[in-house]
Amino acid sequence: MRLATLAWRGLTARPLRTALTIIGVALGVALVSGTLLANQAASEAVERAAQEVLGKAELRVRAFDPAGFTARTVETMRRIPGVLEAAPVAERRINTSTVGGPDEKVFAPLLALGVDPETEQAVRTYDLEAGTFLSPGHPEDILLNAAWASARGLAVGDELVFTGSDPDVPHAKIVGLLGDLGVGALQQGNVLVIDRTFLDDAFKAHAPVTFVDLVVDKGRGGDVEAALNSGMAEPFIVERLADAQIQLSQAQQGFAGIAFLFGLVALVVGSFLVANTLAMTLSEQTREIGLLRAAGLTGRQVMGIFLRQGAVVAVIGSVVGLTVGIGFAALIIGFLRSTRAVLVTGLPINPLALLIAFVMGIAVTLAASVFPAAAAARVSPMDALRPSLQPGRTLWGRLRWIVILELVVVLLGVAAYPVDRGDFGVPGIALALAILLAGTALTALLLQPLSRVVGRPFEWFFGAEGLLGRANLGRDRARTGLTVSALIIALSAVVTLGVVANSARATAERWVGSVLPGGYAIRYTLPLNIDTQQPELENVTGVAAVTPIADFPAVVREGDKQREASVAGIDPAVFSATGSLILVHGERDEAFRALQDGGAILVSEPVASRDHLGVGSTVELAQPGADSQVFRVAGIIAYTLPGRSADGAFLISLTDARERFGADTAEVWAFVKQADVPDAAFRSALEQRARDDSAELLTAAGLSSDLERSLDRVIGLFDVLALLAVVIAGLGIVNTLGVSVLERAREIAILRSHGMTTGQVQAMVVAEASIMGAIGGIAAIVTGVLMSWAVVGRTASRDFGAGLAIPWPLLISVVLLGTGVAALAGLYPARLAARIPIVRTIAHHE
Amino acid sequence: MILEAHDLVKRYPLGDGSVDALRGVSLSVAKGEFIAIMGSSGSGKSTMLHLLGGLDRPSEGNVLIDGVNISQLNDEEATLTRREKTGFVFQFFNLISLLNVAENVALPFLIAGDSLSTHRERVDALLDLVGLSDKAKHRPDQLSAGEQQRVALARALANEPAILLADEPTGNLDFVTGTEILDLIWDSCDRLGQTIVLVTHDARAAAYADRVLIVRDGTIRDEIELGRRRDHEARPLITRLAALGL
Repeated sequence: MRLATLAWRGLTARPLRTALTIIGVALGVALVSGTLLANQAASEAVERAAQEVLGKAELRVRAFDPAGFTARTVETMRRIPGVLEAAPVAERRINTSTVGGPDEKVFAPLLALGVDPETEQAVRTYDLEAGTFLSPGHPEDILLNAAWASARGLAVGDELVFTGSDPDVPHAKIVGLLGDLGVGALQQGNVLVIDRTFLDDAFKAHAPVTFVDLVVDKGRGGDVEAALNSGMAEPFIVERLADAQIQLSQAQQGFAGIAFLFGLVALVVGSFLVANTLAMTLSEQTREIGLLRAAGLTGRQVMGIFLRQGAVVAVIGSVVGLTVGIGFAALIIGFLRSTRAVLVTGLPINPLALLIAFVMGIAVTLAASVFPAAAAARVSPMDALRPSLQPGRTLWGRLRWIVILELVVVLLGVAAYPVDRGDFGVPGIALALAILLAGTALTALLLQPLSRVVGRPFEWFFGAEGLLGRANLGRDRARTGLTVSALIIALSAVVTLGVVANSARATAERWVGSVLPGGYAIRYTLPLNIDTQQPELENVTGVAAVTPIADFPAVVREGDKQREASVAGIDPAVFSATGSLILVHGERDEAFRALQDGGAILVSEPVASRDHLGVGSTVELAQPGADSQVFRVAGIIAYTLPGRSADGAFLISLTDARERFGADTAEVWAFVKQADVPDAAFRSALEQRARDDSAELLTAAGLSSDLERSLDRVIGLFDVLALLAVVIAGLGIVNTLGVSVLERAREIAILRSHGMTTGQVQAMVVAEASIMGAIGGIAAIVTGVLMSWAVVGRTASRDFGAGLAIPWPLLISVVLLGTGVAALAGLYPARLAARIPIVRTIAHHE
Repeated sequence: MILEAHDLVKRYPLGDGSVDALRGVSLSVAKGEFIAIMGSSGSGKSTMLHLLGGLDRPSEGNVLIDGVNISQLNDEEATLTRREKTGFVFQFFNLISLLNVAENVALPFLIAGDSLSTHRERVDALLDLVGLSDKAKHRPDQLSAGEQQRVALARALANEPAILLADEPTGNLDFVTGTEILDLIWDSCDRLGQTIVLVTHDARAAAYADRVLIVRDGTIRDEIELGRRRDHEARPLITRLAALGL
């Protein structure tokens, strides 16, 4: 008989335990491979979308001025030597509805891209899921995102009405539906493609040409850029493919990394399962191993037996895991596509991703097998003669393997981390993982005192069964510690996710609330003149104050350098009176007074921190080609209004904006309600006004909930990943308790002989499992909250400015979840315990 | 009669057929009586004890404990009857290692849903009876073998069972310690009126009984009436056994 046979028989002797362990490894590998494949789908999608959005164009020339390029400028571009084709695109936000009637449906605003159909086809290929492209001679044709249309019951051939358009212009007709991987991906699918002339005619106004895509002769991109710089009169920005990719990938930032981390968590939990299972096998087989050693088997050979068992579990688990992982990836991709949270392609079968997951599965499982294998190698022939010897059962003896295991997995994870780490920098991740490590190790060390406290309610509830269940936890503290540790890791992920999400939600609410005075605003599809519009809006019922937010592009100059920036002119009196804007540096009243007096600016905290600006610093703002205007920083604010750049807007007074930059128009107007007017009446009046003006009503509550919804979609997916890790930890409990029950069969038989019913025996085991789960849940709360602190506290204030927002109901749910999963996991061992035959078991042991 | 057995048969499957461990055993035990069941290994004496205590169910026949036919009860009912009416002492002490001495003694109460504090007096009295009052907080592994068996005896007596069933209680003890345990068992019978059924292959232990049943090949072959005696001299029993050719 060969050693491999012994190894194999060791596994087949306990088929259920072996199967559970393999399932644990398989689930871990499935999550890693699934998330890797989903990440691949997301990054491929961005690449493809960017390529299709730019098409054959090498350069995108974007107008600096919101009024866009003039027809003459577009013509100038077209005539630059080396330019083969110039495709101008006009942008305008429009509100749409179905054709009037009893079933009329009104839709949220869309971004209309006005194109020249003939030029367009020469520049890019549209990814159409149905229908055809715009036909010359049919200006009313439009293209919509297929998913957007389908969600609203629209199909090719249906007609749409543009709210506020000229009634003599024919209705727009849907001729094609765009897929998610090209132009259709823009604005998260809230996009419409139309003939530019139709857009102008429909509103009797020229839609601004905001960018022009240039197809250039191969290798002449640099020349064309130089010609643009020297020959263009209007200010512009040149973008290339990489810039388009960055813009499109904003939603996926962080997704890939976090998804992969969750896969990793599952793998760690799975590795605990392997380590525990093999350790239990060792504990059971000590006598046999001692006999084999007495018969001449070397320590190295014994180690080989255990490593072979680990290898078998690793290979089978990893292969099964890859298969399940592909299905899992398909589910993730389907979910992401349905929620539109992240851009994804179809399921990519990437051999490299599968190989990484496979190797990680094998490596982690084998690493987990090394400890029990090494302990087995230390079994001496004398151990065969000693009763109940369980080598390697000292607490620290196993705990150090928790530490080593986690370190191995973390190192593997960091090495294979697939994407840029975004705001969640390495120090934050390292600190979070260190907290996880300390939390699990400490809980395992303090298991006895913890079980005495946590077990108290169970003793009260279950009586003697609870007492015995709690006492049983101390039977093999290392094994229990390892099992609870796995649960803590999985539940900590749930807690961290919940706390981080809640903090992000609180921040979103605080942000929106602080930048929208009065909580209401109307956004027009085009900027409106302040002098003519303001008196009209002041007449809306219940309005106490209305203030335009006059945003415009500018550049910030620092010596010879300049960079694009957004500036917004606001009315300091209204913002001050409504308590808007959160000042983190500078005295509030003074800051608003300075703004009112002119020459002052409010800067957002992230920008101030990046550019080393403080109260009293100066900022030079200018319009391209014009002289700089110097502003003194009057205050640093936690959040600012959104702008064209990711930094958000610099805030100056409306007077300065108009007098120094000629910003006399505004798209967004904020409204403050009269104190005695009911909320509902005010809202209704604004809704009516927005409808009349074909504009969009924005509310602080609505904007917050939009942000929260998009956050919840992604968090929902991560929650599923974390819950799968909890399931794996549950398998660990089944395994541990299963063995524990068999080990103490004699005691259970004695209890039965003294009148313990089968129901009481089951309750005892379930109580034991539940106490484990409750300890895991409580420890996970502490660990998870501290991990969240590491992530939230160390991340840019823009993302988590509201600080740590603890979702108390979630924390309670985690303890209940841990207890519930553990109790469920305890059901099978409980049945095993109840079936222990009294007479045979006592006789066998005597 | 506190304990009655009628035509007990215990059959175990073996290959395609079966083997009879007991072949029609009947007996009755009066309240307060001390009987010993003797026999060689494999004679069926332990099987008989398991059936009498309700740990196992007979293939045929009935066992009545205090008038309750436990052979007709389902597992749950049999367990509850066992909890109320029987106490067991096994050869290997079988204490619960995670509980201390007092908690082990109180185990029948704990199992019944009561707390140790409710039965503190009874537990203290039992510990006093077995001479372990000073070791109430000790763990089983901190006790000697004899002390562990004394705890097991106290536990078996805790709920004042109708019958105390002891399976080779001295089989794992030295002579002196074994004698101490037998003295305690006898004392509980003689002074407290406890009914005892003792299974042993040791004539010295059986000599404590009022009556000795000799089991061979699954049946009661002989019965030796010794009567209640303060002197537990084994010689008269050994002589009787020799007369029977044992």
